[in-house]
Amino acid sequence: MLLPLPMPRAARRYQRLHPTAWAWWSALAGTIAIGVFVAIVAVIFAILDINGHFDPGNAWIMPVFTGVAFILLVLFRNFLPRKGDFISIFAIAGALTIFFFVLHDFVGGYANGAFTVYRSGFDWLNVGDFTLRIGFYVDQIAIVMLFVVCVVAFMVNVYSTGYMKGEPRYGWFFAMLSLFATAMMTLVLADNFLLMYVCWELVGFCSFILIGFYYERRSAIEAAKKAFITTRAGDVGFLIGIILFWRATGTFDIQTIINAAVTHKISDAYLITATLFLYLGAVGKSAQVPLHVWLPDAMEGPTPVSALIHAATMVVAGVYLVARTLPIFEAAPGCATVVLVVGVITALMAAIIAIVQTDLKKVIAYSTISNLGFMMAALGAGTVTGAMFHLMTHAFFKALLFLGAGSVIHATGTQEMGEMGGLGRKMPWTALTFIIAGVANAGIFPLAGFWSKDEVLKGVLDHQNATYLILLLAWVFISGVYTMRMIKLTFFGRPRDAHIYEHAHESPPNMLLPLFVLAILSVVAGFVAFEGVGQALGFPGGFGRFVTPYGEAGEVLQVVYPLAWGATALALLGFVVALYYWAGVGERAAAVARALPDLYDLVRNKFYFDDLYQALVNYGTLGVGRVVAWFDRQVVNDTGVDGTAGLTGFTGYELKLTETGKIPTYALYIALGVVVLAFVAFSVYGK
Amino acid sequence: MIPLDQVVGLSALLFALGVYGVLSRRNAILVLMAVELMLNAVNINFIAFATYLAPDRATGLIFAIFIIVVAAAEVGLGLAIILRIYRNERTANVDEVDQLKW
Repeated sequence: MLLPLPMPRAARRYQRLHPTAWAWWSALAGTIAIGVFVAIVAVIFAILDINGHFDPGNAWIMPVFTGVAFILLVLFRNFLPRKGDFISIFAIAGALTIFFFVLHDFVGGYANGAFTVYRSGFDWLNVGDFTLRIGFYVDQIAIVMLFVVCVVAFMVNVYSTGYMKGEPRYGWFFAMLSLFATAMMTLVLADNFLLMYVCWELVGFCSFILIGFYYERRSAIEAAKKAFITTRAGDVGFLIGIILFWRATGTFDIQTIINAAVTHKISDAYLITATLFLYLGAVGKSAQVPLHVWLPDAMEGPTPVSALIHAATMVVAGVYLVARTLPIFEAAPGCATVVLVVGVITALMAAIIAIVQTDLKKVIAYSTISNLGFMMAALGAGTVTGAMFHLMTHAFFKALLFLGAGSVIHATGTQEMGEMGGLGRKMPWTALTFIIAGVANAGIFPLAGFWSKDEVLKGVLDHQNATYLILLLAWVFISGVYTMRMIKLTFFGRPRDAHIYEHAHESPPNMLLPLFVLAILSVVAGFVAFEGVGQALGFPGGFGRFVTPYGEAGEVLQVVYPLAWGATALALLGFVVALYYWAGVGERAAAVARALPDLYDLVRNKFYFDDLYQALVNYGTLGVGRVVAWFDRQVVNDTGVDGTAGLTGFTGYELKLTETGKIPTYALYIALGVVVLAFVAFSVYGK
Repeated sequence: MIPLDQVVGLSALLFALGVYGVLSRRNAILVLMAVELMLNAVNINFIAFATYLAPDRATGLIFAIFIIVVAAAEVGLGLAIILRIYRNERTANVDEVDQLKW
């Protein structure tokens, strides 16, 4: 902070201050800064905290915090100490603080078995029958999402101070984290599709920037492009769906549209079309098959980005959309089944691919796709409670898995599990929290995943037939396999690369602290399944009633113990299978791979989705490009431009021969002209 | 009297001969002679119309005198140009004076 460089006397442009002077002025500036900050917070609270009661409709102040942080960082980051990372941290911490006020006053609005929904906002633009409104809708689902976003964003912000230390564009990273938090929170709070779409694209943009953060790497740029284009394909469908609903109802307001759909004001065929287009947006954003290909490649971005955006928040925007508009999906015949089937396919396919991945982050990425499929299947089966519950618990342990992986990557400099092994001895705290996250992911009692998975399985059992349940139980088993494989290959066994093992070290406290917090949450977050716990925390009627939308007397979170123990047993069986096949140097697993080469190739190549899309691009997009290029070359350039020039020249060359320079020739032209004029005159004017 | 159309026919015939002369003569002076022929044909036309259609008015006759004057001036000018060209190019052949061509 002081003069870091030895400079010759003549080059100093300012007078050197005595250290005591520095101390005095820094202290004074710091005190003034803290005073200004406190004053701003007090003013905000004075404005919003009317009658000692914080109207939850004012939850929009949370994204404003991070939005202001974004603007400050963009403008001033290079002039601030530490490039201003503390601004981002303070903003998200402030948002989290406000959240608890919002939560407290929201649960205070519980009356007659239902929670009050809070709305606020204003109309920004009114043109004829088109209204652009900036409005906010705060209900239980929004509260849960805000909690998840704030907590994980806060943890990732703190973690990034350690992980991204020394990286170029350090300040810009935190600016983008703040922008993302703003966009995500506004998306969650939006009450109309248009505002939600704007924020949807904005989070996609943040994802693009952050995936391509190390843009000196070709692969990072390609991955960012792939992510943006794939989600864009889904977003086009989303926009078409929004427009279709607007044409049917005349408004973008989500609750009005839900009402119209539920009361059958829209014809079935139209409703199904519009809903499926809307679902396309969720398919893209939440990495459902077939638009899932971008998420594994998104691992090119820094690991905190993977934890925040591609595990806990942005990818669940699609799940949030479907959860928010679930009455529409249930009113349109067949749509909920589509969601369920696609979800189950996604879950199973991604889990199978995860078993053969060698890159640690890719395993976690496929695990995320798999869990997103599970959440969508929950929604398709009709249980919003289960889906939101799993969304919350998954966010915690998946973010923890990513941050733990980041810790490993930071220490070893590699992402390939083939070069790891035995790291548990060198990085005990990372290993411990990672194992807690893995066990939670697999759904073992009593960690968070156990309760949320059971809730979803119970929903599927109640509402759908047994086939889906069996498929999902198979999924639970496979999840156990890849989880234990990942843990074992990374942290146990003999180290496979001596050099890396030599230099591995535990991470600094600012990276370990988020790991601990998330580990604690992964353990206890599931216990809100018990009514008693929920009520002790202040949720009347327990958490189950909390995440029941639309004022129905909802399901209480009930644990179906036989189902739960069955799922846990399957997961543990998966663990045993993994430990058996990947024991030692994994010779048994390698033997299986050799015995089934075609199957192994199929899975190793991720079911050839990427090849399919590349072929589509080659034949489709580039094919069309070739035709258009031919047209441009042949018709526009050769025939049009060159042709016109040639024609003009040719005409000139031929016509110039009339200029003979000989007088008789010109006399002839005059005579001929007179004759023609005479004819014209006689024919026009008659006799 | 001779019918009007025969007089106009005579005028047209003379005019056509004059045009033929302008277009086909090689010598520049002969071209001027043909131009004179054309002007005289036009003169006959004017006199004929003046005599047959408006005998009490002198409009056509005065116009004919104008034309005679203009013809005289034009021939003087034309001969001057031909003399100049002859001095420079040593020829009075209109086909050979074609420098202003493509």
